[in-house]
This record gives sequence, C-alpha cells and structure tokens, in this order.
Amino acid sequence: MSRRDLAGAPSTSEPLLRVEELRVEFPTEDGVVHAVDGITYQVLPGRTLGIVGESGSGKTVASLTTLGLTRRQGARISGRILFAGQDLVTLPEDRLRAIRGNDIAMIFQDPLSSLHPLYKVGAQLIEAVRAHRDVPKARARERAIELLALVGIPDPARRVDEYPHEFSGGMRQRAMIAMALANEPKLLIADEPTTALDVTVQAQILALMERLQRELGMAIVIITHDLGVVAEVADDIAVMYAGRIVETAKARELFSAPEHPYTWGLLKSIPRLEAGRVEQLVPIPGTPPSLIRPPSGCHFHPRCRYKQPDHARIDPQLEPLAGEPEHFVACLLDPETRRRLWGELREGATPDEAIDAAGLPGAQV
Amino acid sequence: MIRYIIRRLLWGVVLLIVLAVLMFILFRVLPTANPALLRAGRDPQPKLVKEIEVVLGLNKSLPVQCWDYLKEIFLHFDFGYSYYSQESVRSLIAERLPETLSLTVGAAVLWIVAGLSVGIVSALRRHSFLDRALMGGALVAISAPEFWLGLVFLFLFASDIGKFKVFPGAGSYVGLTSDPWKWFTSLIMPWIVLASGSAAVFARLMRGSLSETMNEDYIRTARAKGLKERDVVRQGVRAAINPIVTLFGLEVGVLLGGAILVEVVFDIPGIGELFYKAIQTSDFPVTQGTVLLGSMFIILANIVVDVGYAYLDPRVRYS
Amino acid sequence: MRSIRTILAIAVAGSTALALAACGSSSSETTSSTKATSASAISTPGYPSPTTESLGGKRGGTLEVLQESDFEHLDPGITYAALDYPVVFATQRPLYSNKPNSTEPTPDMAAGPPEIAANNKTVTVHIKEGIHFSPPVNREVTSEDVAYAIERGANPDVANPYLKTYFNSLEGVEQADGGPIKGIETPNKHEIVLHLDEPKGQLVADALVLPLTAAVPKEYAEKYDKNKPSNYAAYEVATGPYMLKNDAEGKVLGIGYVPGKSATLVRNPNWNPKTDFRPAYLNEIDIKIGGSEPVIDRQVLEGTNVVQNEPVPQSGVRLAAEHYKSQMDISPGGGNRYVALDNKVGPFANIDLRKAVWAALDRVALNKERGGEVVSTVATHFIYPTINGFEQAGGLKGPTGPQFDYNEHPEGDMAIAEKYIKLAGYPSGKYTGTQTVQVVGASSPPEKEDAEVVNQTLKNLGFNTKLTLVEVSTMYAKYCGVPKEEIDVCPNVGWIADFADPQTVLDVTFAGKSIEPVGNVNYGQVDNPKINKAIAAAEVVQGKEARGKAWAKIDDELVEDAAAVPFDWEKTPRLEGKDVHGVAMLWNEGAWDYSFTSLK
Repeated sequence: MSRRDLAGAPSTSEPLLRVEELRVEFPTEDGVVHAVDGITYQVLPGRTLGIVGESGSGKTVASLTTLGLTRRQGARISGRILFAGQDLVTLPEDRLRAIRGNDIAMIFQDPLSSLHPLYKVGAQLIEAVRAHRDVPKARARERAIELLALVGIPDPARRVDEYPHEFSGGMRQRAMIAMALANEPKLLIADEPTTALDVTVQAQILALMERLQRELGMAIVIITHDLGVVAEVADDIAVMYAGRIVETAKARELFSAPEHPYTWGLLKSIPRLEAGRVEQLVPIPGTPPSLIRPPSGCHFHPRCRYKQPDHARIDPQLEPLAGEPEHFVACLLDPETRRRLWGELREGATPDEAIDAAGLPGAQV
Repeated sequence: MIRYIIRRLLWGVVLLIVLAVLMFILFRVLPTANPALLRAGRDPQPKLVKEIEVVLGLNKSLPVQCWDYLKEIFLHFDFGYSYYSQESVRSLIAERLPETLSLTVGAAVLWIVAGLSVGIVSALRRHSFLDRALMGGALVAISAPEFWLGLVFLFLFASDIGKFKVFPGAGSYVGLTSDPWKWFTSLIMPWIVLASGSAAVFARLMRGSLSETMNEDYIRTARAKGLKERDVVRQGVRAAINPIVTLFGLEVGVLLGGAILVEVVFDIPGIGELFYKAIQTSDFPVTQGTVLLGSMFIILANIVVDVGYAYLDPRVRYS
Repeated sequence: MRSIRTILAIAVAGSTALALAACGSSSSETTSSTKATSASAISTPGYPSPTTESLGGKRGGTLEVLQESDFEHLDPGITYAALDYPVVFATQRPLYSNKPNSTEPTPDMAAGPPEIAANNKTVTVHIKEGIHFSPPVNREVTSEDVAYAIERGANPDVANPYLKTYFNSLEGVEQADGGPIKGIETPNKHEIVLHLDEPKGQLVADALVLPLTAAVPKEYAEKYDKNKPSNYAAYEVATGPYMLKNDAEGKVLGIGYVPGKSATLVRNPNWNPKTDFRPAYLNEIDIKIGGSEPVIDRQVLEGTNVVQNEPVPQSGVRLAAEHYKSQMDISPGGGNRYVALDNKVGPFANIDLRKAVWAALDRVALNKERGGEVVSTVATHFIYPTINGFEQAGGLKGPTGPQFDYNEHPEGDMAIAEKYIKLAGYPSGKYTGTQTVQVVGASSPPEKEDAEVVNQTLKNLGFNTKLTLVEVSTMYAKYCGVPKEEIDVCPNVGWIADFADPQTVLDVTFAGKSIEPVGNVNYGQVDNPKINKAIAAAEVVQGKEARGKAWAKIDDELVEDAAAVPFDWEKTPRLEGKDVHGVAMLWNEGAWDYSFTSLK
C-alpha cells in the first residue's frame, strides 16, 4: 500500500489475483441488473489496487463476488477470478469458504453494523481464527489479544472481553482489521474502510493499513469513491463506471495524465489545496445510469461533455495507450483530443472553454 | 441488577394483591350466584342459607372477608377451602401441579423448539414451497381455538375414538412416575394442540426477524470470515431471537389460558381443569387460588424474561 | 330447573305411594322390572327405554363411568343432586328407596311400610336385621344410626338442604343443632319412632326415601362432624352393595374419591344380598371425572364397559340417533319447562296478555331447538309424563274446549293472540303499552335459543323487551328467584320431581304460600285464591287415583289461568357402551343405576 517498491514483491512477479471478463448479473422483478459488466484487472503480491467509482458502479459487487458472497443472492456470474491457480467463480462453496477469511480477507464500510452486536469482540476474533485453524480456544484467545495489540488497541487483554458497542468508531474498524488479519491473508479487500469514520480517524486507519501491509506483506484492494484515499495509498488505480472499468493505470500516471472524461470529472470534483480559490469544483452532471438498461454505446455518453454523435452507438474497449502498456482507457475520443482537453482542464479551464480550446466539433448537448 | 430484581418482585406482589382484591370484588359484584344459595338446594330455606353462609364465612362484612382472605393468602399462602369438596385449595392445586407442569412445560418446549425451527427453515428458504406450506400451516394454527383443535385431533388420532388410531386419547393421562412411557404418549396430542398456537406465532415472528438479521452486515462479515454456513445461521438466529424473547412472557399467559381448555378436552386432571370447573360452580376459593397462581407464574415469567434479556443483549442494562 | 348441576326437587308429599308399595319381601328374587305408570305413553320408538329393559344380567366385571362434572356432595346427609344420586344410592340404603324403572318407593333398610298413627302424628319404622356397615365400622346397623343420620342433618356444619322443609313437624327440630332431637325415639335396636307436633305423618313418611335416612354410625362419624364444615364424606362408610374404596382407617378421600379426578366403587364385603332387592351385578364401578362431553359421548358409544351419566348434549344425541341407536336410552319424565310470567306486577298481571303470549308462542319451534321428539315432547299443561295425574290432566293433548283455544295451536296462532290482546284493552291487536318487558334467560344452549324465540314472540305482539342472558345458576339466584327484581318473563324455568306424585310438581311452584323473597321457586308469583284453595284441599287427599284427579284439576286451572306457558316435557337420554346393559333410574332423570346395571 505504498508507492515505495516493496522488497520481495517486484512488479514483474506473477499476479496474486487476476480477474478476467467478470460479469455479475442479478435477475430482479424489474429486469436483469448488470452490476458488473465484464471487468478485467489484476493485483500483484504486496501491492495496493484502488478501485474507484461512484456508488452503484459495481465496485463492491465485484469484490464480494471475489469472495463468493454474491452467490446466495442469486447472482449469475461469468468470467474468471484466478487466485493461487484456482478459479474462484467455479470453485465449490466449501473450498471457497476455506479461502475466505484465510487467504483473502475483507473489511467493510460500517464497522458498527459489521460487527455482531451480541458477541464480544474477542469471541468474534477467536471465531475468525478457529474458522481456519484447529487451535484450542485459549490459544485463539491469545491470538485475539495479539491481533488487537497489532492494530493498536490499548489494553487489549481487557478490551478483548468487551462488546462492539463499548468501542469507539475507529476502534471498531481497528477490530475489524484485526479480525481480517487473523489468518495473515495474502489479500485484503477493504470496501470503503474509512467512509464512516471521522477525518482524523480516517488518516489513522489508512496509516495503520499501510503499516500492516509493510509488516505483513499482503496485497490490498481498496474500494472507494474517494480519490483522495487512493491517492494516499494505492499503487495502481482502476476507475469503474456502470459496471465497467473505464480507465486503469499506475496511481502516479492516473493523477498526472488521466485519459477518461469520467476520471477528469472525479479529479475535478475533489478540492486541491494548491489550486487556489479561483478554481471551481466541477461536479459530474447527471446521475449514474440504470444498470438494468444501460445506455447504448459508451455507457458514460449521457453524462459526457465531450461526446460525439457516434459515441451512442459504438461501445469502447479498454485498450492500452500507445507507449504506455500499463495505462488502459476505454474512450472513443482520439488520444490527441483527450490530451488537449486535459491540458486545458488542468490549467483551470471550464469544460466549455476546454472544448473550444481543443476545437472539438459538435460536442455540446 | 439485584436491586432491580427485588424491585420487580415487590411490584409483582403488589400486583397480585391488587388482583386478589379485584377478583374478590368482581366475584361479588358480578351477577354470579351466592354459593350458599347454590348449596342450600332447590327450594332454599332462608334460615339454612344463613347457616351455610356462617359456615363458609360469607356472613362477615365484605371488607372483613376481603381482609381475612388477603391475610391468609399472603401471610400463610392459604387460599381457603373449596365450597364443594371442602378440600384445601392449596392441596387441590398441589395435587394437580404435576399434571399442569407436565402439560405446560412440555408444550412450552415444543412451542419454542418447533416455533423457532419452523421460523428458521422458513426464513432460510423464503418464498419456497416449503416456506409457503409452513406459513400457511402457521396461520391455521394461530386461528384455530384450542378446544376445537383438541377435538379435531381426538376425532382423527385418538386410539379410542379416532379415525386413525395413533395416540392415546382423552383421559389416558398417567403420572410420569407411574409409567413414563404412557405419560409421554398420552401427552403427545395435548402438547401439540397446546403448543401449536404459540409455536405458530413464534414461527412467524422468527421468520420475519431472521429474514431481517440474515441481511445484516455482521452476517456478511461472518461469511467473509469463512465461517461454516451453520455457524453463520447460528449468529443470525442469535440476533433474531432477541426481539422475540420479549414476547415470551406474554405468550406464557396465552399458553396458560390454553392449558385450561386443553386439560378439559383431553381430560388431564390439572389446575386448568380445576379452574374451569370452579368457574362453573362459583367455587370462589378455588377460582381465586388458581387465578392467583397463574398470575404469579405470568408475573414471574415476565421478570425472568426481562432479567434474561439483559443477559441476552449486552446493550441493555437495568438499574 | 336443570343446570350444570341439576338439583332435584323434593316432594312436599302427600302421596300414598308408600302405602301402596307394600312390597314387604326382602328377597332379591323380586327384582323384576316394575312398570312405570304412564311412561310408556311417550316412550320413544326405536330406542331402548327403561320400561322395556329386562333384568337378569351377568355377574361381575368393572363398569367405567365417564362424567364431565364432579360430584357436589357424597355425604348422604348433604347430597341432593341428580349426578350424586347414582353413587349415593349404590352405597347407602335409606329407609325406603325407588327401584330403577319405577317411581314407587320400596322398603330398603326398613323391614316394611311405615306405620303412621291414626292421629297422623307418629311414624314408626322397623329396621331389617342383618344389615352391616362397611369396614372399618363393620357392626350391625341399628335404629340409633338412623336417628343420628337425621340429627346430624340439623348440624350447621352438615346443613342438610331439606331437613327443615320436610321434617319441620318433628318435635324439637327447630332448636336442633346436631345433638339429639326430642321427637326421635329408638325403643329398641330395630325400631325408630318419629314424634311430630303437627299431623303431617304422611309427609314425613314419604320423605323417608331421601338419603338423609341412610344410617350413619355416630361413634365413628362424630369426630368428623365436629369439623367446620363436616368432613365425614372423606371417611364415609356404606350400607349398600358397594362402598367407596377406603383404607384401613376408613379414609375415602384420595382413595375411593379424588375430587375432580375419580371415584371408585367396590363391593361392600359386609353387604348381605338377602336383605336387599338390588342384584348388584358389577364387581366395581370406576368413575372418571373430567373431560368434555363431545369426547365422552364418542368414547362411550365406541367403547366397551363404559357409560356416561350426565345429560347428553344435542351433538351427542344426534350422533347416537344416527349411528348408535341401541346405545341410547331415553328416559321420559325429565321434568317440565315453562315460560314464567310475572302474575303480580307488570303487563302480565293481566290474564289476557298471558293468554296472548301462550297463543302466539311457537312451541313446536322450541321443541325443534331442543332436538325434536327424541328428547322433548311439546307440553300442553304442567303435570308431565310419568307423574300421577298426567292422563287425567289431558295426556299429551291437554285440556280441551273453546276456553282453551290458545293451547290448541302448538305452532302459535297470531289471530288468537290478537284476540286476547284486544280483550286486554288494546284495540289494535298489538300491545301498545309503554312498559319495557324484562326478559332474563340462560346463556347456554338450548336455553339461549328458547329465550330468543320467546323474546321474538313478545316483540311480535308489540312488547318492548330487554333480553338479558346469564349463566343458569345466576339466572335463578339473582333474577328469576328474587321477586323484587320484577323480572316479567323467565323463559327458561322448569321443575322436576323425585316423586311421581303430582303435588311435587305443582305445589311449591304455583302455590301463593310458597313465594319467598330469595330462592323463590314460584317464579311467576302465582297467587290465585281459587288455585290456592284447591291446592290446600288436594294436599290432604288420600289415594293415588284420587290424588291424580285432584291435582289434574289444579293443572287444568293453571292452564285456564295461563299462570305460565308450558312448552316442553323433557326426556333425558343417557349413553352406554356396546356391551353394557344399562338400567336407569326413572325417578332420577334416567341416570344409570349401578346396582342394577350389568355387562353383557
């Protein structure tokens, strides 16, 4: 979870997790919800992937599917999720269960509701340990105390016997992390781990995750709607929109030279201190599209300021940029136009000014 | 906590005293027959009625009668003597306690086990055929009066008068100590009939409650931890039970009320039947004794439930 | 007056029945069926009836009895209920008792008929030798035991319910409180003499059929009679063929009788059949108390060695009538039922309005409500079948003649009703008075339906009514038996006698002198001077035929006065198991007589 290179985890190594053409659909009374619409990404050992998108973009569903947690909701799943040589999509439930919480762990957005209110924190930790390790209760309890100490909870021997409601918000998320780390997973999926927390606590939690990654050498997938969070921690970033990945790149690359208009929108909608007061925050107009009947052509076109007439027909593919094999984008604008547009936007131009400057024909709605 | 329990118990005693007074007043205000008049035969001579009133203590002023009555009940736990059999109400009740305990405890176990398991199965298989069948059955069980249901069971399954001679029928009850197997078989139908209503209520509550908790975030957490599905469901059930437990005390009252009719229809000589006959014969001491005993059980059950709830839900604390 | 707990009527007897029943034989060979006088007149075709049952059953076996209700009192000094009598008369021997299938008393513990002195002020009874109490008392019964049985009836802790009504002429009885009574003399061990201070010897002699005269051993019972109230019943000993099972100390409670649960009758080892007319075929009678009638009815009809011994509800009657005809015994003489109208206060003080109600009431509909002809006969007057005087009073048809036109249309006739309303001074033919008529009925079926039919009839005649339905014992104790409540209409009252003498049906229910402020049984406060005079005269009439005639005339006058509206002569069904040869007590609502019933 750091942009520093990690010992023993060279970027050239085999991917830990590889998701290929993953599709997740939920049949409902109103029609089929195409929650995840064919996404491909990979996570390298010891590295951090940030998946960014608005709520409803399918980023959480994709992660839950990785753990097989969407199966019992009646999801239709296709594609492949390769982890340690096994395809998690087709793996039988009991073998998948042996991976959950053991090789891959997950933490969630709201630590209060994610912890069982009627069991002691320690019991929930012990349970996590004993789900995969045949150890006596007393040993598992020692481990639970160790874990609480590891995530920085003071007086863990006492707190281990407390209930979640006796913990503060940040402490609960630490406890959740401790639980996820119980079996030293190779991959930790963190779904909006800081959203429900105070800003100061957010930073502490991110720092904690960073420290733990360093100490334990695990890979992290961090799912968030907040580019600020991924900017701090991610090595690679995938931007999701309407069930698809629209852009993926190294974090530094994505922030310095974003290619997709949606990514521009995300970047322009977060305040930056160095931007000065004149720069206006530009929210992305419109609302995320229906996943039952997604827009034709480029799914983003109804909200895109730069769309061309044929964008409603042609479905863009995620393709690597020329000369940048690790930067992929799915956009129908030609690369030169995009570069000019971003150039204008970065300098503080409004989208209209940028369109004029880039000489984009017939763009306005 | 101890202070809380003591306070609740004291309030329970106050409630029982109020209830005893109320019953005393009701029994005399409502147009029920004067027991002395009933006892005095068909063409009652006023002098004889007076004499019987003296023997039964009905000649004293009402407040004195009431005071004597309360004193005996709450200081000596003595409910007086039946107007008819002249047996002490305490021993009448004590004699029948094993029957009523056999019936109600057994039915309560069946009610909780069956109610919760049906609710769990239905919640986990929501909208399946099984779920629909179980919930349909529950609706029937809730709306069926015990007396009618008892007759239906007897006419269908009693070994003497049933269409299918399966279980021992009415009047087959024997004590647990004299023949445990007969005791058990004779109680199968009464247990089912008595438990069915409450079990159905609990099944429906459990289904709703568990359906809700199984969608909770902590259940997702439990799955993400890699717990076996059985353990995941156990966590859901554990949380789903809490809101239902508070209704347990209430349902105990319903169960005791049902026991009266079940004892009558299956001819189990318990306290319920004693009460039923006492009401019919205006036998006030017996009526009072059985009602107060039943009320005491309900009050105690509610205290147990409230205290137990504090243990079940760590977020609740009494002071 | 039947309720959940039926309380028997006691006869204010002037009957000569005892004198006629000069059956001095004490041998059990005389146990042939006695024909009841008029029972055959309305026996129900297709059903076994007590009058056609022959005796001579198989000896041995255990009879199981299922009964919903518990006994009230099994102490012979207190007992007074139809349900208690089968047990009491199988275990206790009064001086005289009724054979089953008959309404005529027979000497039981007495050696012969009572000897009534010419001045009618002394009654002498000789007691058989060789009658012994059951264990643990064992000794022979003497006249002193009968004396004590009567004396203890006056003990307030025993409080016999009829002693002071029927033995009130006994010298010193008014002051008695359990100790010796001056008027009871026992010159020797087998003779008892009752001295009276009024010439009412016949009445006292007739009352000797009551269980109060069943012997009680003083030296044994005294300590129990000292309790408040007496608990002799918990230790009672027997003189009859059976006894409530007891232990060596004689304790019955919890052994032979467990209140609310069971009673067990076993043979009395000290009973000598040579002294008794009862065949006592059965070895044991196991009575199970509790349960519910619908279940009991089926258990009896489908079971063996089992009977029920309470009035059968309609559902049971219907079930038996359809599938088990031979297992239902229908006893006639279950009493009369009538609509009591307040003759003293309110609109029904007017005789023509009473006649209008009679004319309009659909008695056939009421009969159907009760289950039709199987269990009920449409009544046309008050003396009911099996009672002496029934035929003289007009039999099934009732008194006839133009003055009885309101009695001639059992389905109800509004034209005749309107005629009488006009006669009463309401020219429209509808009652136009403003008074609201208070109607109080019983809330259980079929009484509830009776009350509703009567209420509707009153409305049809133009009355404003207020109908109140309460539990049956409450109806009597708080409303219909309390004149000051001024209840205008009590649709659910009735009377049943335990003697076949007509006086027992009409005297306390219609004589002006019997009106009481509480516990009143002259429900309509009938106080007609002409009828009062006729009653006083009929009370002293001697001879069965003459008494029947005299009381039938009173019956006619009650109908002519429309003192009340009779609508039902009840029959009482009882159910028996397939292999039970039940013999019924005709004089006790057809309850099974355990001393005569046998297994096939």
